[in-house]
Amino acid sequence: MTLEMFLEPFQYSFMVRAFVGTGLVAVITAAVGTFVVLRGLAFLGDAIAHTSFTGIALALLLGISVYFGALFFAILTALGVVFLTRVSPVKDDTALAILFTGVFALGIVILSVSPGFAGDLSSLLLGSVMGIQTDEIWIMATVALALALILLLCFERFVFVSFDPIGAEAAGFPVAFFQGLLLVIIAVAIVIAIQAVGVVLVVSLLITPAATASLITKRIKSLLGLSSVLGLFASFIGLYLSYFWGAPPGATIVLVATAIFGVVLGVQKLIGIFRLS
Amino acid sequence: MVDKDGLALEVSGLTTGYQGKVVLRDVTWEVPRGTLAAIIGPNGGGKSTFLKTVVGLLKPMGFDKLELLGLPPRRGRRKAAYLPQQEEVDWTFPITVLDVVLQGRLVSQGIWGRYSREDYRRSLDALDALSMSKYGHTQIGSLSGGQRQRVFLARALAQEADLILLDEPSTGLDAQAQHELAEIFQNLGDAGKTIVAATHDINCLTECFDHILALDGQVLAQGTPEQVLTEANMIQLFARHFPKIGASGEVTVHDS
Repeated sequence: MTLEMFLEPFQYSFMVRAFVGTGLVAVITAAVGTFVVLRGLAFLGDAIAHTSFTGIALALLLGISVYFGALFFAILTALGVVFLTRVSPVKDDTALAILFTGVFALGIVILSVSPGFAGDLSSLLLGSVMGIQTDEIWIMATVALALALILLLCFERFVFVSFDPIGAEAAGFPVAFFQGLLLVIIAVAIVIAIQAVGVVLVVSLLITPAATASLITKRIKSLLGLSSVLGLFASFIGLYLSYFWGAPPGATIVLVATAIFGVVLGVQKLIGIFRLS
Repeated sequence: MVDKDGLALEVSGLTTGYQGKVVLRDVTWEVPRGTLAAIIGPNGGGKSTFLKTVVGLLKPMGFDKLELLGLPPRRGRRKAAYLPQQEEVDWTFPITVLDVVLQGRLVSQGIWGRYSREDYRRSLDALDALSMSKYGHTQIGSLSGGQRQRVFLARALAQEADLILLDEPSTGLDAQAQHELAEIFQNLGDAGKTIVAATHDINCLTECFDHILALDGQVLAQGTPEQVLTEANMIQLFARHFPKIGASGEVTVHDS
């Protein structure tokens, strides 16, 4: 790649906004994703993304901001899981499946009675990063900063309730509060990332960089930092590929993130084989 | 009767269980501060259920009195530490020994904020007291079972817990590690800490513990090891779990 090719996308203001917006959400989503991977909550991330779809459908129907609709349903799902697992004698994934399918079914019903929104919905399902406006960048930046601040201030507490929730609860530590807060952060990160990669692929931005980082480091602070760097890298390379190939950016970003995971895993396996021989 | 002010744990008329099913009925037990107490009984006898109820992980179905360190459970738990069974902890979690011990300091902090120098000092002291100083930056998962127990005990010390409850602490430990754990319990007891351990290992009970509660759905016996570890009590507690050979040679492990 020549310098001219490298700089070419930046001639267009929509591409600059796309790089900034996607970079912001990729960093914060990948950082939050560290806890999703450590706690085995990938299914939850997927569920939140899909229930956000119902929020978006409802928001379009009511003519309100799709972000508010998505956020409401995402947080409802996250807190609903905490509530259900505490009051109902069912396992976390079972409670989640009940909530997730119920809310998603509601979205399908809403869509079926209001067939005029196919265009808007497809851009939200697959992402519309090239269409990000300046005011949306500011919203993303503010939300990303707020999430980063909460993550920084509560980092040790999130680690405590993720590593040993039983010991923490027994000592009177407010486990439900911090688990709930963590889930809310995950939900908010998913909602702001939906514009970049869409409802269908957003879970990859949450999971794949953190999973890749977990192959490289076993220290949690390094894990969080490396995950963010990998998320940022995947979003940049993915956007370049999208620009030059004319492919949907959400898909190319996820492809790059997945390819990095595959390469790291492959290299690790090769190193293991060479060490054995 | 023991001095009420000197009780680490006071339970009266406690009935508890899971999902509407009674596991333990009408338990009354007092543990004076500084005591090394063991809870024994067969699998399913209610040892873990009792500990989990005491520390608030299970909601009791009924009780007349439940106090930790002379306080209601919600307040008393802040000075109590619970060490779950080894298989209940994710040992692959990427966390160092020092980070685990520092978690003991979070219990007394608010919902925000970072560790202070004092938090680090107390955590390092706790590691030192358990002879684990050199493992501070080691991943918890790379330690042996005995060392992991020490780390969690160090976290209890960093928390300044006066009551330490352990669920099957000797499971998976070899004879040497069990002996070392017994010594640690003794040292903690000498330092005024109260230890309550649920255990199926009755070998070291007379060596380690000075008070025993025998449970099998209800209290079968309680008192000193000499009072509880009688032949009659052991048969009543464990006999139905011994294998039996029937008239036609068939082996049964549990009777009905």
